[in-house]
Amino acid sequence: MYRKQVRRRRAVLALLIISSFALLTATYGQQSGGLQRGVSAVFGPLQEGADRALKPARDTINWFDETFAARGDKARLQSENQQLRTKVAAGEVALSENNQLRKLLDLRRAGELPLGLTPVTGRVIARSPTVWYSTVTIDHGSGSGVSVNDPVVTGDGLVGRVTSTTGGTAQVTLITDHTSAVSAKVVPSGIQGVIRPEVGNPSDLVLDFIDSSKHVQQGQTVVTSGWTARGLSSFYPYGIPLGRVTQATIAEQEASQQVHVRPFADLRELEFVQVLTK
Amino acid sequence: MIVTPRILIRIVAIVLLAVLLQLSFFSQVELFRTSPDVLPAVVVSLGLLGGSLTGAVTGFSVGLLVDCLLVEALGATSLVLLSVGYLAGLYRERFDITNSLTPPLLCMALTLVAELSFAAVQLMLGVDAPVSTLVIRDLAMKSIFAFFLGIPIYIGIRRILRPALIEDRAVRQRAQPRMIGA
Repeated sequence: MYRKQVRRRRAVLALLIISSFALLTATYGQQSGGLQRGVSAVFGPLQEGADRALKPARDTINWFDETFAARGDKARLQSENQQLRTKVAAGEVALSENNQLRKLLDLRRAGELPLGLTPVTGRVIARSPTVWYSTVTIDHGSGSGVSVNDPVVTGDGLVGRVTSTTGGTAQVTLITDHTSAVSAKVVPSGIQGVIRPEVGNPSDLVLDFIDSSKHVQQGQTVVTSGWTARGLSSFYPYGIPLGRVTQATIAEQEASQQVHVRPFADLRELEFVQVLTK
Repeated sequence: MIVTPRILIRIVAIVLLAVLLQLSFFSQVELFRTSPDVLPAVVVSLGLLGGSLTGAVTGFSVGLLVDCLLVEALGATSLVLLSVGYLAGLYRERFDITNSLTPPLLCMALTLVAELSFAAVQLMLGVDAPVSTLVIRDLAMKSIFAFFLGIPIYIGIRRILRPALIEDRAVRQRAQPRMIGA
């Protein structure tokens, strides 16, 4: 009797392990299947309800964490504030010049969305529990005009792109996911590269494959480069702010052709995002 | 554990609630720059109460549901959590839980095993980006959270599944009052 039980237990275990490997082999690197879309569609409203109901508790816990973090940030922010004050003065002069030039060239005002894109504001209702995947689920899907590969932003900058949709939800892969790569440009120097994440550290991105003969300076801004070539184009339109260069040693630039960038958007605490739909 | 249809419904409810809470609450909460992961602790608790088969099956189900909801490659989370559930159940079948600290300590240890296994699976599948050393801190913090969260999770699940637990049933029967001289 006991042996029979043990044999049955082992058989079930073997079956589950084989099923896991079979599923992994069948679905790794593939687009989302019908099963995943179906489950997401069923759970979407439940996740939305849970997200709203649990928001006060979540905010309370996050408040404690932010208070601890703010103590450490104080000194850094004070020095950054000094640097920014000098930059603001220079920026205002540049802004007035820019406005005049834009009027002359009949360009659209700064801060406006790229041409042909309509924003859809969504609330983050779920988030991946591990650092190995950086994805969030939002409460708008194909029913609201959201489609796969649409860029996703917050008021601070680029967040990621839509990788899967159901009628009422969409899966957003963040720029901190290991599969993410965004073509980017340092302004005003114009140096181009690819923004890649560092797994496990959401406040640090790497601007990779930069031209080692040109040097990026600390504090410079990085935006999406939005390339188009031979009928192909980047998922991200030109000019979406990505982050600020935080670490740019000449030795690292020459040796590994990369600099470190801190993203403008706080990717750990996303509540509302905008999907730029076509 | 005696799994009747009613108990099965309770286990399914626990699994659904755990996944929902993880994705909508715990993953969006940050404490010391890390989000707690309660799913290994839930699977460990179910394994400790129900045995290796229950642990493995619930681990597989939880993993499959998470992968479906996150639209990731199916099977990776299932493989990790079914192993963790099976190990917890195996512990239960070989040793008695005499100390009240055993379940949270097992939650902590097996959460660490789960996170390390998941990292290993991901690295074997291929990670297209450099990996920060902060991942190690994340693993350690998740395990510490699992210890503290393991206590209420184990107690809660034990209470929900109490009618099915053989030991608790025996204790209740022993505790029934008897009329002297009847």
